[in-house]
Amino acid sequence: MEQFLLFIDRLSAGVGKAFGWCIVIMTLGTSYDVFMRYLFRAPTDWAFDMSYFMYGALFMMAGAYTLSRNGHVRGDVLYRLAPYRVQAGIDLVLYLIFLTPGFTALLIYGIPYAQQSWHMHEVSIYAPTGAPVYPHKTLIPIAAALMLFQCFAEVVRCVICLRDGVWPQRLHDVEEMESAILAEAEDRRRIEEELHVGAGK
Amino acid sequence: MMLTNPEIGMIQLASFIVIVLLGFPIAFTLVAMGVFFGYYAMGDRVFNLLVTNTYDVMSNDTLTAVPLFLFMGYVVERANILDRLFYSIQMAARRVPGALAVATLITCALFATATGIVGAVVTLMGLLAFPAMLRAGYDTKLAAGVVCAGGCLGIMIPPSVLLILYGATTSVSVVQLYSAAFLPGFMLAGLYIAYVVVRAIIDPSLAPKPKEFDKPIPFRDVSVALLTSFFPLAVLILSVLGAIILGLATPSEAAAVGALGSVILAAAYRSLTFQRLKEAVYLTARASAMVCYLFIGSWTFSSVFSYLGGHEVIEHWVDSMHLSATMFLILAQFIIFLLGWPLEWTEIIIIFVPIFLPLLKHFHIDPLLFGILVALNIQTSFNTPPMAMAAYYLKGVAPPHVKLTEIFAGALPFVFMVFLSMALVYVFPGIALWLPHQFYR
Repeated sequence: MEQFLLFIDRLSAGVGKAFGWCIVIMTLGTSYDVFMRYLFRAPTDWAFDMSYFMYGALFMMAGAYTLSRNGHVRGDVLYRLAPYRVQAGIDLVLYLIFLTPGFTALLIYGIPYAQQSWHMHEVSIYAPTGAPVYPHKTLIPIAAALMLFQCFAEVVRCVICLRDGVWPQRLHDVEEMESAILAEAEDRRRIEEELHVGAGK
Repeated sequence: MMLTNPEIGMIQLASFIVIVLLGFPIAFTLVAMGVFFGYYAMGDRVFNLLVTNTYDVMSNDTLTAVPLFLFMGYVVERANILDRLFYSIQMAARRVPGALAVATLITCALFATATGIVGAVVTLMGLLAFPAMLRAGYDTKLAAGVVCAGGCLGIMIPPSVLLILYGATTSVSVVQLYSAAFLPGFMLAGLYIAYVVVRAIIDPSLAPKPKEFDKPIPFRDVSVALLTSFFPLAVLILSVLGAIILGLATPSEAAAVGALGSVILAAAYRSLTFQRLKEAVYLTARASAMVCYLFIGSWTFSSVFSYLGGHEVIEHWVDSMHLSATMFLILAQFIIFLLGWPLEWTEIIIIFVPIFLPLLKHFHIDPLLFGILVALNIQTSFNTPPMAMAAYYLKGVAPPHVKLTEIFAGALPFVFMVFLSMALVYVFPGIALWLPHQFYR
């Protein structure tokens, strides 16, 4: 089971991280367009479409990854004070009755939405190139499916936590600067305290 | 008993607030509430609404700037720039009373503006400037307040993500918001600095001069330090901002060039490694997903809310209180101030600002001015107990003898400075509106 959980985590993280590189394409592509416009008076006709394709793909496909890192923001004033089992109970129930229906709807209704776009070879209305928008729309059901998959993993995590009383480990990953610094400071403090206790004996 | 639709809308809002306080991720709560109540109100059509709202967020050309500015922030944050920045400003400001604190504030303002991440600025400056001030014999409270207040400036001073989110929620142009926030942002930073200088003049023992700057430093050394560490970052930010305000580039385009500039800057400081770039990319992906899924939820939630007529109930209710425009504004800002306790600024902007929006027209309040007041107001949410995140971040990295209550007490005068600048902006709206009126009349 643990292995299966980590497999889902790796899948979500892998997809999210891969699409994360869209930001680099977006940065370079848009900068190229700006430079061409001001230096050579030759703006591109693709940069605008590219920027929102990249942006949309970036955040949609990182949704499950963010969930796997517990990164979707919570109003956790009370939650963080609650015992782990209570946290897991709240999460378990709400993942099942809140997240699942919403994203199932996004999956089920996202498929015909994308299909219709493929069917009529829908193109962007912004640019003369007529960039196809159906791949972009197809990301909606895919992202929803990934999210549901990750939601399943989170539900299992909640059950494990209810059983054991502690949250199971997550995959190691890069943390926000402040979390990393605070964790380090906490570690140092603990070591110093232990040394202090040791010296006192 | 049959409930009317607007009453159902109120139940929707109330149950949302209760469930948010349970601590479940807010984006999913919004989607669920939108879908459940929408299904009641409009049947199957709510599912199509959810899908089209999702696509609207995915193709929104204002929000494209969000991941770009986040990326720029994460790159600058990892560029090893802070030490030399702080040192050069310290040298330049050494003759000012309270020099270290002033240097801290200026460093914070610049670095926070470039990164836009409060936690990172407060913890990094908490490790760098805070111990330096304590070593120099500064009053603990003053030193703590300076770091906490300075660290939050980045969400106000443009180019900030907060104003993009406000623009995307209210359809006020981000360009106008940036030019409107420019003077108030610097006014706030100026008030902070003035406060520190005045305190240091009245009681020099609060902020003694550090010994290392006793001996004269040649002007040339100071200039070189400033040229190599202060100017590159300042020029990067000002050119991004300038390009936006002067209309040379859209916010997204300027953000892209800014992100490229930050990568080049990091390379110039020899701190660009593939590892750091990768970290910045992954964090950008996660932070963007966090913000944009909130938008999917919020747009679905609020279209159902207004379909049910929830806004009208609030309008009637506010109407029945017979408020003047000023009283309404104070009430609205007070509610936003209170919301800063359980919520973070992203949720306040994305979820609650839309509720106030229709009322602004009713009271003839300019949404542009309102946005600037909200941006100022949100500064306080990091520094007012019980949920003063900036204070917690500082406590986490501060030496053990520094008490949380000291940090709270130290941040308090700066919270009053924020209120003062809000009052100033309200009484003299020109502070915010003069610049946009020069450019876009």
